[in-house]
Amino acid sequence: MSTTIQLGAPAGNNESKPAGAPSVALIELNGLTVRFGNRDILRNLTAALHGRAIGLLGPNGAGKSTLINTLLGFYQPISGSARVFGRDIHRELRTIRSLVGYMPENDAFISKMSAVSFVQMMGELSGLPSGVALERAHEALFYVGLAEARYRQLGTYSLGMKQLAKLAQAIVHGPKLLILDEPTNGLDPSARQRMIRMIREIRDGQEMRIVLCSHLLRDVEDTCDEVLILKQGQIAHYSDLDEERRANKRFLELETYNANGDFTAAIEKLGCECAVTANRMKMVLADGVETRDIFRIAAEQQVRIRRMNFRRDTLEDIFLKAMES
Amino acid sequence: MSDRIVFEDVSKFYGEILGVNKVNLSIPPGITSLVGPNGSGKTTLMNLMTGLVKPSRGRIEVLGIATDDPEKMFRLVGYSTQFDAFPKGLTGFQFIYSYLCIAGMPAPEAERTAWQAIERVNLVDAASRKVAAYSKGMRQRIRLAQALAHNPKVLVLDEPLNGLDPLARAEMIALFRASAAEGCYVIISSHILHEVDVISDQVILLSNGYVVAEGQIQTVRNEIQEHPTQILVRCDRPRDLAARLFQSEYMIEASIHKDGRGVLLKTRDADRFYLAMNELALDGIQIESIAPADDDVLSVYEYLIGNEEVVR
Amino acid sequence: MAVYRRSYKPYSGTLTAPWSRFLVLFRYSRRTLFRSKLQTGFFVACFFYPIACLVMIYLAHSIGFLAKIGIPPSLISIDNMFFFRFMSVQGVLAFLMTAFAGPGLISPDLANGALPLYFCRPFSRAEYVLGKSSVLAILLSEITWVPGVILFLIQASFAGASWTWENLWIAGSLILGSLIWIAILSMLAMALSAWVKWRVVAGALLLAVMFFGAGFAQAINAVLRVDAGHFFDVGYLVASVWMGLFKVDAERVISASQAWMALLVYSAVCLWLLMRKVRAYEVIQ
Repeated sequence: MSTTIQLGAPAGNNESKPAGAPSVALIELNGLTVRFGNRDILRNLTAALHGRAIGLLGPNGAGKSTLINTLLGFYQPISGSARVFGRDIHRELRTIRSLVGYMPENDAFISKMSAVSFVQMMGELSGLPSGVALERAHEALFYVGLAEARYRQLGTYSLGMKQLAKLAQAIVHGPKLLILDEPTNGLDPSARQRMIRMIREIRDGQEMRIVLCSHLLRDVEDTCDEVLILKQGQIAHYSDLDEERRANKRFLELETYNANGDFTAAIEKLGCECAVTANRMKMVLADGVETRDIFRIAAEQQVRIRRMNFRRDTLEDIFLKAMES
Repeated sequence: MSDRIVFEDVSKFYGEILGVNKVNLSIPPGITSLVGPNGSGKTTLMNLMTGLVKPSRGRIEVLGIATDDPEKMFRLVGYSTQFDAFPKGLTGFQFIYSYLCIAGMPAPEAERTAWQAIERVNLVDAASRKVAAYSKGMRQRIRLAQALAHNPKVLVLDEPLNGLDPLARAEMIALFRASAAEGCYVIISSHILHEVDVISDQVILLSNGYVVAEGQIQTVRNEIQEHPTQILVRCDRPRDLAARLFQSEYMIEASIHKDGRGVLLKTRDADRFYLAMNELALDGIQIESIAPADDDVLSVYEYLIGNEEVVR
Repeated sequence: MAVYRRSYKPYSGTLTAPWSRFLVLFRYSRRTLFRSKLQTGFFVACFFYPIACLVMIYLAHSIGFLAKIGIPPSLISIDNMFFFRFMSVQGVLAFLMTAFAGPGLISPDLANGALPLYFCRPFSRAEYVLGKSSVLAILLSEITWVPGVILFLIQASFAGASWTWENLWIAGSLILGSLIWIAILSMLAMALSAWVKWRVVAGALLLAVMFFGAGFAQAINAVLRVDAGHFFDVGYLVASVWMGLFKVDAERVISASQAWMALLVYSAVCLWLLMRKVRAYEVIQ
């Protein structure tokens, strides 16, 4: 998709950007409880989520899909309430649904329809007039990368293409919130990269907010700025990744090609704690010790430092910690 | 060689459709990852390795045993496919137990072994429930259990982490590492390249039925001569850093990062580059981080197999 | 010169009226339906009998022509029996049409899990069922009471005001008789389509329900020596209803009003079964 400079402003295309009101919570949960039979799947969930892209994590059975389904109105909570963009799910469900685009985890397509008809029909069901729906269907399919195959029947699509078709129908009506459930499922590495890139583009485009539900922590880390971790129907942890990234600057991670015990010993002599696995080193810089001291030791011993970065508590650690508590 | 899995000039065609073509491999013990786009021949390779499919040409030997000897093969090999299929009506325990009985184990031993396998994948609580009622992740784990129940030396696993939550992923990876440490041959296919990077001892890249590269990822990288090494350095004065480095003749290219606090450097000689970095750090440049930009499976994948923009 | 970047743009234009959204399903299903040549051919063939009836009506009022070819006018009488026969023939055709067109309505949506995509939009389950039933309702109407009423009007224009006044009830019977038949057929077809994932099987089941129902009814009557077995025979029930509506004299074991009740109950049950299946995600215990 070529990105080029706009030299002449096209007339009449200026939508005034909504005065960025980060104070309008994207999703508010208030004591939300959902029960199936005699089991409580979601228990008394209370949270307020503001981010541009929110990651929803948790082990299997934690209630992630149930939460999404409840916000979409597929399940009725037994008590408590929730709001999406300030609208109550009990009273303004239709409005919420018109603001939301949903990409489910499982297969969701109609075999004998072409991608264009399918996405167009979904657009019309969301309220777009017929002609507009057709235009936007084509646009959406181009955007997700199904341009070549858009006239073919969905039943003939490969798994990756079906995922993209699901994404296209989720964005055709211009929702304000995009809910993606395992969007990279079954995609090969190239397609995964494209999907992640698209999600980042959408997030950065400011028009749509995203809720991303995934088991792949790296994907969530690459795209989300807030993370909600569920466990057994309750909130195990809530994290603002941006804040976490700005935090503590004293943990250092190092990978070398040819360091040996001497290297580690020299660093420890500076007063830093070191932990070594194979050629990977993690250390806590003592007060007064800077990275140039590490480089000095490396220069002295002719050690080649392959990788060095200040460690932030990666999402994996945050997740594991949340599961233990 | 009876301590390796050997493919000698192997081709497999399904009618006129190509599965794999002229594959030559010699797989040592440890964790080997198969990587490639869908349809590149990963599953064919796995089927060939386990003897489920006969090669159209060529010879395959697993630890000295020819693959057309199912009796011997399946004592040695455990296979977990990517397909979510299982016999209807069985509980988790029965699923594993019955396969062990088929393998010829006497009943009490089979029972014991089945429970051991179930414990290894952490499904003890759910073992008495029907597999049909399992979640996707649980079904994945019971299939893994079935593959490793009889303690095979060779584990062939097609996308084993599919559908597993992060905890289960970490557990299974630890399981694979433990097996590899005992001298097993663990062959995994995966699309999640950053995981492949971390857990594999060697990788095999496939594309369109051909083996495009194989070996340890760093060695593979070093062999791709025409691509110089790329390294991303974040520091307070990237331009200064680049200017200084350009004084050496092994520096080829420098790109200042969008945010102005990093520079992507291309060099022909990585070793000299790293040593130069040490000196520059002492010379007053505050280096925040150094990261190889393409020394991983993802980059090698992109070079060799390519970022296909057109969706097939 | 301006160079444009192709990227995602939000939508802030007008939206269609909420109440009209179910018609989207109508339009799309109908388009898909008539893409099949077999369907279109059969649809056209359903008008052969009405056209034959039209000819009969014309002949009935062309005494001179009849005299010429030597047929006594009393042979062709346009009365309640005439319209009863029309109802019966078109009723059978409607049944066949449903077996053909009905199953493909809901099965494809279920087969690949597309239902959540419908309901994650401002679109309710009721609208979905309404949209899908409207396809069958309109299609079947087009081959039952619509040509029927047209024939009635043509006859009326020939026969004059007094005949029309005396026989106006026939038009009502045509409409009512068609509607109850359409209702039971649509509900049955859609319920089957929702519970059975494959179109062909759903279609076969519809035929089975009719024919085996009849056979089953006979069996019960014979074995248990009752007449209530007929309640399993939907064909028998609707025939009772029509005979009642068209005032056709016949010995019916099950009265028209009983048949009405039974058919309404069956329709309601089918509708209930349908609603149970048509939801975004089923809760599996």
